[in-house]
Amino acid sequence: MLYVLRRFAVLVTTLLVASFLVFLIPYVTPGDPAARILRARVGDLVQDPQTLARLRVEYGLDRPLLQQYLSWLGSALQGDLGRSFTNGTEVLPQLMRALSVTASIAVIALLLALFVAVPLGAVCAVRRGTPLDGAITGVTQAFVAVPEYWLGPVLVLVFALQLGVLPSSGWHGVESMVLPCLTVALRPMSYFTQVARSSMIEVLEAPYITAARGRGLSFAQTMLRHGLRNSVLPVLTLFAVWLAGLLGGSVVVEVIFAVPGVGRQMYDAVINNDVPLIQGGVVAVVGLAVLITTLTDVLYTAINPNARTSRVRA
Amino acid sequence: MSVLDVFGDDARRDEPGAAPPPSPSPSSAETATAPARRGRGTWPPALLAGSVLFGVIATLLLLAPWLAPYPPAQQDLVARLEGSSAAHLLGTDHLGRDVLSRLLDGGRFSLAVASVTLLICAVTGTLVGFVVARRGGWLDTVVMRVTDILLAFPEMVVALFLVAILGTGDLTLVLALTIGGWTPFCRLARGVALEINGRDFIEAAQALGCSGWFIIRRHLLPNALPPLLAHAAVRFGHKLITVGALSFLGLGVQPPFSDWGSMLSEAIPYLDRLPMLVLAPGAAIFIAALSVTLAGRGLETRRARAGRST
Repeated sequence: MLYVLRRFAVLVTTLLVASFLVFLIPYVTPGDPAARILRARVGDLVQDPQTLARLRVEYGLDRPLLQQYLSWLGSALQGDLGRSFTNGTEVLPQLMRALSVTASIAVIALLLALFVAVPLGAVCAVRRGTPLDGAITGVTQAFVAVPEYWLGPVLVLVFALQLGVLPSSGWHGVESMVLPCLTVALRPMSYFTQVARSSMIEVLEAPYITAARGRGLSFAQTMLRHGLRNSVLPVLTLFAVWLAGLLGGSVVVEVIFAVPGVGRQMYDAVINNDVPLIQGGVVAVVGLAVLITTLTDVLYTAINPNARTSRVRA
Repeated sequence: MSVLDVFGDDARRDEPGAAPPPSPSPSSAETATAPARRGRGTWPPALLAGSVLFGVIATLLLLAPWLAPYPPAQQDLVARLEGSSAAHLLGTDHLGRDVLSRLLDGGRFSLAVASVTLLICAVTGTLVGFVVARRGGWLDTVVMRVTDILLAFPEMVVALFLVAILGTGDLTLVLALTIGGWTPFCRLARGVALEINGRDFIEAAQALGCSGWFIIRRHLLPNALPPLLAHAAVRFGHKLITVGALSFLGLGVQPPFSDWGSMLSEAIPYLDRLPMLVLAPGAAIFIAALSVTLAGRGLETRRARAGRST
C-alpha cells in the first residue's frame, strides 16, 4: 500500500514539475511574456499598448509568478489549455485528435512486435544454443541499432517508390498506417524477442514444466498451457514501458511519414513557436507516460510482491 | 522507467548470470577488484568484433582531414546528384559535394557529441550514485525520486522543450542528451555500492579511517566498473542514434556544419533519384551504433562468465 501511495506521489510530482516547466516557456523566452500569453487566451496578437495594459490586468498577468501558475494550472485542469498561435483554435481538441493518431500507431506497432517476438523468443528458447537461436538472437540484437530515420526512408523506397504498393506519407486509411507501424515496430520487436527468449528459458527449467510433461501432456500442449503463459509477463511489462515512451517518442517517424500525431504536432509547434500547443503536448505526453508506467508498476506489484523489493534496489 | 531505459534493462536480463552486483565471495578484500581482472584475455566474439569495428570507424574519422578526397563543403554544381564513380566513390549530393568526404567529416560531429554527453552522464551518474548509496537517508530518497521523475520524460520531448526555451545550439543538444541520461548510471552505481557497502572490506576500510572518497575510488569504483562499462557501451549506441535523430529533425547540428543525421534529412527529397544519398549516412549511423552495442553485449557476456567462475 505504501508502495502504491509512493508511486502516485511520484506521478503527481512529475505532473506538477512538467506543468510548471511548460508554464514557464512564455516567461523565459525573449520578448514580452504578457503579449504571448494573451495571444494564447484571446486567440489573436494584441498590438495596441493600451489594450495590452488593460488585458494584462484583466487576465492577472501583473500578479506574482506563483499565483499566475496556480490559475493557469486551474484552467488547464478544466481542459482549457488556451488557443494555438498558428490556427487560433483551442488546443485541447487538436491535442486529443493527435494523441489518438499517435496512440493507434503505437498500439498497432507494439501488438505487431509482440505477435512476432513471443513465438520467435519461444523458438529460440526451445532450440537454445542451435544455429537458429544464434541467428535470431544475432539479428534482433543488430536490429536494435537500426535508426528509425533510416528504416523509414528505406521502406518508402522499397514499398512506395519501387513497388508502388503503399503510400509514402500522409494519413488516409489503413494503407498509410502500414509503413509507420512497421518502422516503429522493429526495435521493440527486437527487445521483446530477447526478453521473451530469456524468460522462456527460465520457464522451461521450472519444475511445473517437468510436472506437466510427467502428467502426459505433449510438448506442444505444455508450451501452450504453461510455457507461453508464464513467459509472457515480462514481455507485457516491457510492452507498457514502450507504450509509455512511444506516445511521445515517435516524433521522427511522424515527421518522416507526415502523420498528424502528437509528436509531429509538438515538433511543428516548436518550429513555429506555438507556445500553447507545446505546453499542451508536453504535459499530455509526459502525463500519459507516467500514468502508464505507474499503473504497470502497481499492477505488477499487485501480481508479484517480490517485485517491490527488487525494484527498490534497482 | 522510460523506453530508453530498456536498453540497459534487458541487456542485463538477457544473461541470467549477469545480475549487476558481482556475487559476494569469502575472500572479500581480494575480490574487491577481482571481477575486473578475472576473465581478461578471454574476449567473447561480440566484444572483439564490436571493438575492432569501432576502432576502425574511430580511426577513419580521426584521420578524416587526411583521408577525405575532397573538402566536405566543396560544391561542384556541374556534378550534382551523381552516382558512384572513380572520382566520387559514394557519389555527390544535391550541391555536388562528395558524399564520402562528408560522411567522414560528419561522423566526427556525431561521434564527438555522443562521446562527450556519454562521458558527462556516466561520470555524473556514477558519482551521484556512489554518494547517495554511502550517505543514504533523505538524500538517497530525494535523488531516487528525482530519477523517477526524470525517467518519465521521453528524451525527444525534453529536446523539443529545450529547443522551445533555448533555441537550437550546442548547449541545447548537450543538455537534451544529459538531463535524463545520467539516471541509469546513477541507479546502477548505487545498486553496486549498496550491495557491497555492508561487506567486511568496506567496514575494515572505515575502521582504518579511510575517507569516503578513498572508499569510493578504491573499493566501489573497481567493483562497479565492469557493469558500468558494459552499460556505457550499449548507451553509446543509443546516444549516436539520438544525436542523428535530433540532427535529422534540424534540432542538432546547425548549418554550415553537418553530421550523419542532417545529411540523411537533406537527402530525403532525392530518395527516388539517388537512394545512395540516404542509404550511406544511415548505414554509417547503423554500423557505428552496432559496433558499440556489440561491444557492450560482449562485455556483459564476459562479466557473466567471470561471475559464474567465482
